Amino acid sequence: MHPIFSSAHRLQWYASAWLFVGAMLAASLVAAGDALWTNALFFALPVCLLYSFIALSAYYVCRSLPLAQRQALHTGVSFAAAAVIAGLTLVGIGTAWTSIGRSLGIEWGAFELTRRYQVLLFGLGVALYLLSLFAHDGLIALENLRSAERREADSRALAREAELQALRAQINPHFLFNSLNSISALTSLDAAAARTMTIALAQFFRQTLALGERQKIALSEEIGLCESFLTVEKIRFGKKLDAAWHVQQAALPAAMPAMVLQPLLENAIKHGIRDLSEGGVIEIAAEVREGWLRISVNNPCSIEQDTEQSAGNPTNQGNPRHTGIGLQNIRQRLAAMFDGRARIACRRDDRQFIVELTIPFLPLEDTPGRPS
Amino acid sequence: MKLTALIADDEELARRLIREYLARHADIDIVAECENGLQTVGELARCSPQLVFLDIQMPKLTGLEVLEASGRRSGVIFTTAYDEYALKAFDLHAVDYLLKPFAQERFDQALEKARRQLGRPAAPTPAAPALEKMLSERRLDRILLRERGQLHVIPVESVDYIEAQDDYILIHAADKSWMKTQSLSELEKQLDPRRFIRVHRSFLLNIERMRSIERQGGDGHVAVLQDGRRVPVSRAGHERLKTAI
Repeated sequence: MHPIFSSAHRLQWYASAWLFVGAMLAASLVAAGDALWTNALFFALPVCLLYSFIALSAYYVCRSLPLAQRQALHTGVSFAAAAVIAGLTLVGIGTAWTSIGRSLGIEWGAFELTRRYQVLLFGLGVALYLLSLFAHDGLIALENLRSAERREADSRALAREAELQALRAQINPHFLFNSLNSISALTSLDAAAARTMTIALAQFFRQTLALGERQKIALSEEIGLCESFLTVEKIRFGKKLDAAWHVQQAALPAAMPAMVLQPLLENAIKHGIRDLSEGGVIEIAAEVREGWLRISVNNPCSIEQDTEQSAGNPTNQGNPRHTGIGLQNIRQRLAAMFDGRARIACRRDDRQFIVELTIPFLPLEDTPGRPS
Repeated sequence: MKLTALIADDEELARRLIREYLARHADIDIVAECENGLQTVGELARCSPQLVFLDIQMPKLTGLEVLEASGRRSGVIFTTAYDEYALKAFDLHAVDYLLKPFAQERFDQALEKARRQLGRPAAPTPAAPALEKMLSERRLDRILLRERGQLHVIPVESVDYIEAQDDYILIHAADKSWMKTQSLSELEKQLDPRRFIRVHRSFLLNIERMRSIERQGGDGHVAVLQDGRRVPVSRAGHERLKTAI
């Protein structure tokens, strides 16, 4: 429905404006000496009021030709045709109303619609309809602008929410307390290893605090963060856990939201390597190809493994046990940053779980190199 | 008298820490170390240790699932880094547990308490019923059952519907049916009420598997599953089903 019907107030103003047009038309008829005031008003006001509803159809004409996809010729022809049809309709309305007025047989209801006035009425109808088309175009453009602003605000709110979740996830209590427990065990078994682990743990938290505040970071920085994380996890899980990096030099400056890769590694350990008594190697690859950055995380997993690792699937959303940050959150943050041009997919191949991430390659300027 | 003990934790360092803390207690003999839940259930049956140091967050089966599968109730000392759901249950039922990282003193205290309870097996130990209650009240992610001596783990999302028989239940999941000795009402309480609806006195239905509800007879109904199987729906069940969807 036309938006004007959603507000009685607006409708009132609109009708008043058209009654004014009607009054002007009547005044000109009187001035031309062809009618008395009563007859002129009796003719002009109802005709204009009825035409005002016809003029609203301009809204649908404008909407059928979205501003962004218009071609001058096509639009011109469409607008002209619509205006001519509307003008003819106005003449029709005028003719019909005068004949009704005549049949009523009252003195002030009679008005002679001469050929000259029919042409005038047609011209008026065309002109007013064109005006209506332009007015609607303007209003639609304004509305589009407003909704774009609203969408942007929504996506900002979403990004903020995702950021907050990411920050919460960084301080994964399970990871923290288990690491502290390992350090506690190492103090008597291997004091040097206890120190290494303490330092790696501190470095990991320092990096997450520093990076979590930033809108985007370079892949090299994310890798640095992941390396601290893996140092801690390797001490915790011993020989069971290993990681192999296959990162193209060209991919290092790629911009991405912080804490995208680290949760993937955390999932690979929690739902993959941890369940395997013989352990396994996580393979992380990153490459740039034709303007896209592709990152994949590949980990072995057991056969009877359920689908927990794909924590992004909606059925796991309400499950409090899946406190891991989950693919859903990563997906949301990538979508917010790359405007929907990001893809994240996971699949199982036999005994491998693979997460693949494809985002536009946008190098971040002045990126520090990969920390050694 | 020597006491036998089992240590279950998937992290080697965590096991070694308990071993170190136990070194002070000469009367305790460590008979087994396990790194996952399934192995723990096997070792519990094999060497029935008097004391069990049980980590909650273990692969394959969690510590709580180990208790459920093994029926073990006494001499259990839980260890956990962080599991807010388990901790809430422990506090609610006054079950003792160790929060990682823990000190030797705190460890000794928990050990002392467990030892005291083991020392008087005739007296009713408060731990067993408390654990029983805790296990029966927790929300399940997977259903455990034993068939011909083998332990099966069924993720709840794979369950189509559950049917009550005389004194057991039939769990229909992934083209198979499993038998379990438990009452339907008992299991119903442990499943997500948004997903599992009691559509009939003897049927509990996973509504995500339902394709449609059809009329049958006068005012009877039947739920049709995605694979075409039909589950009877009682009048009260129909009301519950309507409010659920």
